[in-house]
Parts: sequence; structure tokens; C-alpha cells
Amino acid sequence: MRKDEIQRQVDVVRSQRSELENHIIDEYRSGYIGRREFMRRGAVVGMSLPLVGFLASACGSAEKSGSSSDGAESNKAAVSKGGVVKSGLQLPGSDLDPIKVNNQGALGTLGQSGEFLIFSDSQLKAVPRLAESWEPNEDGSQWTFKIRQGVKFQDGKPMTAEDVAATFNLHADPDNGSNALSAFTGVLSKGGAQATDDSTVVFELDAPNGNFPFNTSSDNYNLIILPKGFDPTTWPKNFQGTGPWKLEKYTPNVGVTYTKNPDYWDKTRQPLPDRNEIKFYEQEEAALLGIQGGEVDLLAQFSAVNGKALLNDPNINVIELRASQHRQLHMRTDQEPFNDKRVRQAVALLINRDNIVKGLLEEKSDYGNDSPFAPVYPTTDKTVAQRKQDVEKAKALLADAGKSSFDIELRTWRVFEVPQYAALVQNDLKAAGINVKLNVTDSASYYGDAVYGKSPWLDSSFGITEYGHRGVPNVFLGAPLKSDGTWNSAHFKNKEYDKLANEYVAALDLQSQRTAAKKIQEMLLDEVPIIFSYFYFYLSATTPTLAGVNVSAMGQVDVSQAGQKA
Amino acid sequence: MIFLAAQVLPGDVARRILGPFADQASVDALSKELGTDRSLPAQYWDWVSSFVTGDLGQSAVNKRPVSEIIVDATVASGKLALLAFIIVVPLAIVGGVIAAMNEGSFRDRLISVGGLSATAIPEFVWAVIFILIFALGLGLFPTTAQFPDGASIFTQLEYLLLPALCLVCVLFGYIARMARAGTIESLEADYTRTAILKGLPQRTVIRRHVLRNSLLPTIAVVATQAGYLIGGLVIIEAIFNYQGIGLAMFRAATQKDLPVLQSAVLLIGIVYLVATLIADILYSVLNPRVRLGAAE
Repeated sequence: MRKDEIQRQVDVVRSQRSELENHIIDEYRSGYIGRREFMRRGAVVGMSLPLVGFLASACGSAEKSGSSSDGAESNKAAVSKGGVVKSGLQLPGSDLDPIKVNNQGALGTLGQSGEFLIFSDSQLKAVPRLAESWEPNEDGSQWTFKIRQGVKFQDGKPMTAEDVAATFNLHADPDNGSNALSAFTGVLSKGGAQATDDSTVVFELDAPNGNFPFNTSSDNYNLIILPKGFDPTTWPKNFQGTGPWKLEKYTPNVGVTYTKNPDYWDKTRQPLPDRNEIKFYEQEEAALLGIQGGEVDLLAQFSAVNGKALLNDPNINVIELRASQHRQLHMRTDQEPFNDKRVRQAVALLINRDNIVKGLLEEKSDYGNDSPFAPVYPTTDKTVAQRKQDVEKAKALLADAGKSSFDIELRTWRVFEVPQYAALVQNDLKAAGINVKLNVTDSASYYGDAVYGKSPWLDSSFGITEYGHRGVPNVFLGAPLKSDGTWNSAHFKNKEYDKLANEYVAALDLQSQRTAAKKIQEMLLDEVPIIFSYFYFYLSATTPTLAGVNVSAMGQVDVSQAGQKA
Repeated sequence: MIFLAAQVLPGDVARRILGPFADQASVDALSKELGTDRSLPAQYWDWVSSFVTGDLGQSAVNKRPVSEIIVDATVASGKLALLAFIIVVPLAIVGGVIAAMNEGSFRDRLISVGGLSATAIPEFVWAVIFILIFALGLGLFPTTAQFPDGASIFTQLEYLLLPALCLVCVLFGYIARMARAGTIESLEADYTRTAILKGLPQRTVIRRHVLRNSLLPTIAVVATQAGYLIGGLVIIEAIFNYQGIGLAMFRAATQKDLPVLQSAVLLIGIVYLVATLIADILYSVLNPRVRLGAAE
């Protein structure tokens, strides 16, 4: 059957189904639930078995082929095989130890020879990789993953469910100092992953979690699957993993070269280029020049602020992905002057978001509405009214609160457009007589020891912090906003909110997630512990002749299907 | 000193490695592994005691031996500095001498004013100008200096020429000015007049009497610049994405990687000392008064 004919039939079927049934179909399409789970739920809500079967195969191409994602797919035919693809990445800030990595250069490198259970792609879909399928129990407190068979590590040993469970327990163990530990806090504890047979891993979670698959995906970038008993500090010697690329040579601080992994399991994604080269850039300026000067074919990420030259360069092809990466402007809710919610609302009303999105970010950004629910998330309720600049209303609120003018220090650090954003905030707040004194430092001074009492990030009344992209908002809803959150700069403590956040996290279906999302959005819009003015796009650049590149807003770079245009 | 100074830097190394969003338990575990949770005297004693046995230790951040990091970076910086030196020293001396011999003429003004103006422009501005013209505009050179692994010496030269030229622009003015001043002084000296009057050919006068005397202050300048070239290249190395010692040191300071920072600072100190020593030796070779004075 032709593709559009299938689509037409699906549309007909969907128009006859109830809203709830359509939600389940949506969830299956976006990869939130696996095939078996879809079949099960479909049957529960009363769809006939042949119908569920038809929809499963018509809507579930990703699961069936076990691979592929949109970006690469669209250009695949046009690419010539062989050659070298050279990518420019940010210099890894630490050793390439899967336990420790925390920047884009490092995670981008990890993802070449390593693989995740699930790949969180540019459309925020969960694409099965080392996991073939997954499903939750009734309340989402236990998830069962089917592990792909016939996959080999770079050293030739087969990958089994034991390896998967060991990798997760390695990161969940507080003694190992894993960077993924904060993502696992309250979600997965050491020993929570168990291999029940060669191809099954069962995760017993600390609490019900409807988005747990994203915790196992490339979003949680430390989690490449390693052999059981592997010492992660030795990773830079052999780049162990199951990915399409095999280490040729690694020169610390300079770059990596790879050759094809001849044993790569995914027949639909065998590497097309002969070689894959990564070059590290310490400074964004050097990286921008690198792509303009033709030193690299692909620049994994650049900022709209520094990379204006690329946006206007006819010899550069810019890939833009809507994303959830953003800056949080926090206001300490437990201290003068922001302990009065009217003052916080006034500040949010004074900010001219048009200036930021259109001027500062060259429209490479979505508007934020003072909650972590970025427009890109399918769960975000778009009916919640967008906050816009309203100086008069802000002045009235300030007058009500008895704070018509005050001085305040705004702390942040020099990263991408943040200093300019701070200056815009300073300027906007002047309109209501609020004098903002900027205190912009380096990252070490801003973050300090990153614990309460020893960190301007967490202790300052007013500050801006940068947050990277996540495929689901769970992390943003937890640590920066929950009463016991470890990144709660605003010192926001609200029992009602905590309850709603837990409700959202535990919700298994899109409908309940949306219901909880709407309540959270409305509450945060009113309480405004944090101003979210924008969610900027993830920007990558390629030379115009390169095609088939697949990047994700998390910073994953897949060049396995890339090459010069034929 | 460095050890104490680095303690003032905010944050600790494990936090720097794992980033602000890592769980505190992870940071504590890593601090323990790195030994940075121990008292300062204990850490310092560790470093000193292994240092005297020739063991520079391991980088706290990326586990590579410090000696390897420092050697790689110094060789890289050394290549760049050497190229800049090979170009700038003869060029500036010749320029200075020509200017001196044509004192007050257009040529003199061109060299003196041009050289000083070039020096006044910071190296990063030169870098931007050169990259815009020669790398992006004309496409003659790569935009960065990091040559591929195993590149031939000619390829390396191609990659290093633009950054070296930036350094040349910055250094030319200093050295040429010293050479010019020294030459003018010796040209006016009695011994030069005597030499000319006794009928020596001009070339001999310049080589044997003028240059030998005029180069003395120049050598001192060149020697101090050698130290700058090895240690002060952070900006050029950053713009050209070149993994030299300046960048390595800067990175070590921002990441609080003490083993690397301490050894790098020590190394730069040694380079300064050696450069000054070489200058002193050259000085005595060129200036018999110093040699003979010492012999007395």
C-alpha cells in the first residue's frame, strides 16, 4: 500500500475514534509507549484487535524498523557514499569518562562509538536503539525493557541485558560520582535495574514515572551502554560501545578520528562515510571560523548571538531545531523584595520578550511563558495566555506592594547571550524605577560550590542560569522548582506545586500529563518564582554540500548517514 | 605560591569537572577519588614530594600525566614561537638598521612609525584581520593553527604562518626600535668615526663596529620577548584553536587543575630564566668588556 493511502486510511479511522483512543494513538506515534503497550491499551479502551494491529503497523514505523529518524532520512538518497565527514565540537571539559562527561563536546563524542537504549531525536521522539521495546506496569513504577539481541561491543563481545543493568546501576550508585545521578535522584536507585533474562531488563523505580524511557535515552547522555564490570576511567583508551563508529585515534584537546564499525548491528544505518573526524574547538569564535574556512563540514552547535555571520552566509546551511533549552531568571521568593508575588509578577510584566526573541536571538527562539513548559513539548497546554510586556500594570502592581522603586543586584555569568539578556532586563526594569546592578562573572564564581550557602547561583536574590535541552520537562520541574529541589535558586516552596509536579511525572498518558501541565503552567504564571522568557532554538551549521546529518537538540551528532550530496 | 593563590579561585576541582548540575554526592565521591578533600598541607606535601623525584603527577581533570600534557603543549607553543622568532628577529634588526642609517628620512618614518603602530594594535586584532583577509577572503591559509596529526613540516608551516605573523606584527616594533636606537648611538660614537676615518669600507664598519654594539640592547629585548612568546600566547592560541602551553595553563586555572597549573607555571619560570641566561651569554660573546671585566 502506498504511504499516503495508508495515511488517508489512518485519518479515516481516527476521525471515527474517541478522544481517549486518539490520545493513545498519539502517544504511540510519538514513541511515548511501545507497540505492545499500544496493543494492550488499545484493547483496554475497546478498539478491536485487527484495528489496533493495523494502526500499530501504520503509525509505528519507527518501532518496526528499529531505527531512523527524520533529519537523516529526508536526505539519505541524495548522499554519495565514502569520504570523510569532519565535525566541529566543543572541547570536552573533562576526561572522556562516561561517568563524568557534562558538556556537548564530550557527549557528542561519546555518542559516536557508544549507544543508548533509546535515541531521543530532533522531534522529541523516542527511537528504539539498544532497547527493542519497553512498557510500564499499571502505575508506571516498574518498566520492562526488551534488549536487542545480536549486538556486539567494539571488542567483539556480545551485549546482553546484564550489561544494560550493570550500566544503570553503575550510574545510580552515589559512590561512583556519576553526573547522571541528579537525573536519577528520586527515580532510580542503585540495584533498581535487574536483568531477568538475556534480553529483559526490569527497572524498579523509586516512584511512578511516565517519562522514564527518556531517562534511559540519549537525553541522559552519560548512559551509553558499557560492558558489565568495565572500568569507565579506561574509556578514552578504546571508546568502548556498540555504536557505528570505531575509534582510530584520540588526541586529547585536539580531536578524534573514527573508522566504520564493521560489526554494527543496524543494517539500515550502516555508516556511509569511510571516516568520521571530530575536531574540538575551545572557543566558539574559532569554531565559527572553522566552518566558514572549510576546516569542518559540520558545526554541531553555535549561538545566534555569536554566529550571526553564519545565519547570513549563503555558503552555510543552518539546521535549526526547536528545543527546550532556556535561561531561568530566578527571584528569591523567601527574601525582600521578591517575597511579594506582586513584585515578581511586575518584573515578569516589565520584560520585553519581543526585543529578546526578535532582536537578540534573530527569531531563532520560541517565547517562554514563565514555566518550563516550552512550546516544543507535546504536553504543553497552548491555551494558557502568553504573558506580554505591560509597563502600566507592572507599575500598579509595584505600587500595590508598596515598592515603587528599589535597587537590586542581578548575578549571572558570561555565556552565550546571557550577558546581553541581563542588560536587556536591566533596561526593561528601569521603566518602573527598578535599578538593576549587573554582576556578571565567570562560571566558577557564579556557581561556586553549587550547594546552598556557598553559591551565588543558589543564594542570590536575582540571577540568570542557563539550562540545556531535555526531551521531557521532568528535570526542569523537579530540581529548580520543588521544595526539596537541589537547584532551587528561587527558594520556591509550595506544597501544591510539589503535588502537581509529582502528578505530572507519574502520569502515564498524554491526557493526564496535559491536565497536570495546564495546572502547573497556570500556577507558575501566577507565582513567577522564575521568569522563562524564551526557549531558544538549537542551531547547527553544515557546508551546503553536506547532507544526511542528524543532530538532536541535546547535542547528539549522527553522521552515519551523512555525505556529500550526490 | 601558585598552590596558595589557586585556593582563592572559586569552586573545587570535582565540581568543576562534573559541572554545577551534578549531584553533591557525586562531587564528594570524585573529590575523594582525586584526593582534593584532604587538607591543603597534605595536598601540597604530596605534590612537592613527588615533584622532587621528577614525578609531576596526573592532571586532576583528565587523568593524563602532567609531564605529557606540558611537553605536548610546550612543543606546540615552541614551534609557533620559533617560527615567529625566525621571521621577526632578522626582519626587525634589518629594519632597525636601515631606519637608523636613513635617520629622519621617509624610510625611517615608515619603519619606526609603522612598527610602533603595529605593536600598538593588540594581537587579537591582527588575528582577526589576517583571518578575514588571508583565510576567509583569499582562502590561502586555514582559519586555525591546529594542524592535522602527522602533518609534514610544510603543512605545519602553512597552519602556523598566520598566528606567527600576528606575533611578528606585535614584536617587530619593539625590536626594530631597539635596533634603531642602538645603531644610531653607535653610528654617532667616536669609534665609528675613527673606523670611517681610517678608511674601512662601510660594510665592515657596520658589521664590526656598529652592529656589534647596537645589538646589545636588542638582545635583551629579544630575550624578554622569548618568555612572552612561550607563556603569553593565550589569546593567539585561543583564536587559532591551538593547543599550546598558554591555553593549557589558562584551562588549568579555570578548571582548578592544580598539578598542571603548578608545573606549567614552573616551566614558564624556567623558560624565562634560560632565555635571560642565553641573553647574558650572547651579551658577553658580543661585548668583550663584560667578558674581560669578569676575568679580571
